[in-house]
Amino acid sequence: MIDVKKIEKLRKIVGKENLLDSVEQLTAYSYDATNIWSHLPDVVVFPTNTEEISAVLKFANENKIPVTPRGGGTNVSGGSIPIRGGIILCTTKMDRIIEISKTNLNATVEPGVVLQDFQEALAKEGLFFPPDPQSFAGCTMGGVIAENSGGPSCLKYGVAKQYVLGLEVVLADGKVMKLGGLTPKNRTGYELIMLFTGSEGTLGVISKITLRLLPAPRSSKTIVAVFNDVAVAGETVTAIIASSVLPSKVEFVDNWTFEKFRGLLPGHILDSSQVILLIQVDGLPQTVEAESQQVVDICNQWASQIRVAADADEAEKYWQARGAHFSDIHNRAHTIINEDVSVPRDKIADFIRLGRESAKRHDVPISFAGHVGDGNFHPAVLTDSRDKEHYQRALKCVDEIIDIALNLGGVLSGEHGIGLEKQRFLKKAMDPLAIEMMKKIKDILDPNHILNPGKIWEESKE
Amino acid sequence: MKTTPVYEQIEKFKHDLDTCTKCGFCMSACPVYQEEKVESSVARGKIMLIRSLLAGELEVTDGLAEQINCCTLCMTCAQNCPAGTHVPSVITAARADKVERKGVPFPYNLIFRWLLPRRRLFGWVVRFVSWFQGVFMPKTEGTIRHLSFFFAALGKGRHIPEIAPKFLRQSVPVANKPLAGTPVTCTVGYFTGCMTDFVFPELGKKIIRFLNNNGVEVIVPQGQGCCGAPVFLGAGDFVNGRKMADINVKAFQDLDYVITDCATCASAMKDYVKFLANNEERKQKYSEFAAKIKDITEFLVDVLKLPPSAYRVAQEFIGKTITFHEPCHLGRYLGVKEQPRQILKSISDIKYVELPDADRCCGMAGTFSINYYELSKKIADKKADAIRSTGADVVVTDCPGCQIQLIDTGKRNGLPQRVMHIMDLFE
Repeated sequence: MIDVKKIEKLRKIVGKENLLDSVEQLTAYSYDATNIWSHLPDVVVFPTNTEEISAVLKFANENKIPVTPRGGGTNVSGGSIPIRGGIILCTTKMDRIIEISKTNLNATVEPGVVLQDFQEALAKEGLFFPPDPQSFAGCTMGGVIAENSGGPSCLKYGVAKQYVLGLEVVLADGKVMKLGGLTPKNRTGYELIMLFTGSEGTLGVISKITLRLLPAPRSSKTIVAVFNDVAVAGETVTAIIASSVLPSKVEFVDNWTFEKFRGLLPGHILDSSQVILLIQVDGLPQTVEAESQQVVDICNQWASQIRVAADADEAEKYWQARGAHFSDIHNRAHTIINEDVSVPRDKIADFIRLGRESAKRHDVPISFAGHVGDGNFHPAVLTDSRDKEHYQRALKCVDEIIDIALNLGGVLSGEHGIGLEKQRFLKKAMDPLAIEMMKKIKDILDPNHILNPGKIWEESKE
Repeated sequence: MKTTPVYEQIEKFKHDLDTCTKCGFCMSACPVYQEEKVESSVARGKIMLIRSLLAGELEVTDGLAEQINCCTLCMTCAQNCPAGTHVPSVITAARADKVERKGVPFPYNLIFRWLLPRRRLFGWVVRFVSWFQGVFMPKTEGTIRHLSFFFAALGKGRHIPEIAPKFLRQSVPVANKPLAGTPVTCTVGYFTGCMTDFVFPELGKKIIRFLNNNGVEVIVPQGQGCCGAPVFLGAGDFVNGRKMADINVKAFQDLDYVITDCATCASAMKDYVKFLANNEERKQKYSEFAAKIKDITEFLVDVLKLPPSAYRVAQEFIGKTITFHEPCHLGRYLGVKEQPRQILKSISDIKYVELPDADRCCGMAGTFSINYYELSKKIADKKADAIRSTGADVVVTDCPGCQIQLIDTGKRNGLPQRVMHIMDLFE
């Protein structure tokens, strides 16, 4: 617990309107979008500029108070949970888009800008920042960078790290460091920007971000294809990409979420099918026309039903149905263990087959959905944490699924990050030397371990 | 041993409480969160606070009451929720459970209990205080700054239209028949709502005339009262809300249609059954009543199916550009989105332009704007920017509550647009 005097000092730094310490307000900062993790902070501060972030960190460092940086708190890794209490440093009030440059194809933003607001502002200029995590409506740009976010569009356009040109970072002792610049090419020294991109708030607090942008695609088309067989759907994806078409998105949902597609696709087809693929191609209108035809031709060989959305409204309905997957699954069981593994594209069918076999062995329901185009899956095991026996079986199944993905040459987390949720798997998913190096880097940048302590790797209590 | 408290009303919406996955889709949609950027403002935060309440981790403190109160119930969160969680219902229920434990604060307890259910007395008080408006503060052109104890709270320096010299129901008979020669096609009851009755009686007269001209006999039951929205939705006072519901159900019992010009009244009355039906008899009565309620534009388009020629625009609006603010209670609650637009688009004498984010909350939300006027103004200022961008001459809406907010917003922001009810446009 932080004593009253220290809270008063923090109040002086950020102003009384930018500090919360009532039990109700703290409760609202005790969770993120994960199921089981929660912990109350002692205080929540909302700095409104870099200087205030710096002053808060300096004070926290001197007094060895844990600081958990947080944006929208929509992450699904436990990353923004103040697991050791202390200060929540919430960036939501630093929400200015500082500059959007059409000529330079870049933009500079504060960390609290909501991704959707940023994307809307860019759209007005005909510009585009591709990462599109499903939390776009609430997640902030600081979080997008600190978690190195992905999303459906990353198949064609890559993840957040591919767009970071410059960062301003406040270090644990309050010093402010500027990295990178405004240009897409920059070969000055180590790529320190990458150290902070995906650092999950453990190395510094990002206070300003310069991003590379793309011109917005002129048009797009959505194709929906329904399959009787999971493996065949996987092979279709491989065939599409082998045909030299790179769709902007290829999403996969299994029949657990078909209810959301009722009314959009024929009922009898849904009843007898296993998988829906949602495919989007984008670019110049003539390219989109040709590529979507090519996708349709390939799907036609194996799909039981194909729909090409007639217009943006129809397309939006399909994407909304896809977007509802998580909540749909969530409402079918008390506890959902939602994983985030990524496997090489040619191993998709194997992964799903082995995953289903594992779920069958442990007698637990499993649902697969995800960004199948880049092999990033969200297998969700449905269980009930109150039923110890069932929950144990579910955990074993999850362990196996992660082993399956790793054995197929995949990775532990495609886009969610490690946080608290995936700590227990880190040792088998990462070279021990690399884990050691991460810890050494942490010791250099944050010797008192005040920044988001208790995250990424399992630590003995300090 | 710690016992888990029972929250009777919240329990009824347990499903909504359970379905939230904390995904954060509500964040970009919430007008309050967009201003405050604090987690407890947004649907997800409120759900988590109420879950903690049920778990016995939090109690009904002033701090918690504050978070439950600070919501416009605009329903944008529910509209954007992939899980279909209806947070406004949970919040309304939580307000009721709060009242159950803490009561209604002064002076609202007196107003809700003694004043609002008694239409004549309420009218008399409104009239009484209106005599003194000019004494305490100079009248400004077309608007006035009130000092009555009720309207002072509403006012807080807000520009509100003058209380009418004569209330609607003092000016019109109970039965309003079409002129001789016009065949009567149907008879409807007109629920005038407080605002039209006390502040905009000319609108009420216009609506009666419009319906009469189109062969509709309009009954204005004298027994009707306030719809109860500020009482049971705003404050969570279900006991007095129920009294008001019973009064209105009785007043319209012999009529097949209940027509309103106020989306909030219509929606609140339709929700009697959801929140206030505490026995089977009420459940049935309130359901039957709900089925009769029609917003005026919904009635004109869906029931009367009037041709475009029926909408004769008053001389002063001919050639003008009109835009439309969609009240939350109209679009999201009643599902009436197309009807007013269809009317406006069908009129050849005016030019209709769609308002950007037309369905975004204006920030009025009844008692919300009394308790959180500064916040309410910030929300409204976004609406002002949108209205300005249309270049329209007039902004119309379908809710006198929104209308009052937009008038205030327009004055504060120096908007050139006039603010009216959609039915004000017609002869």
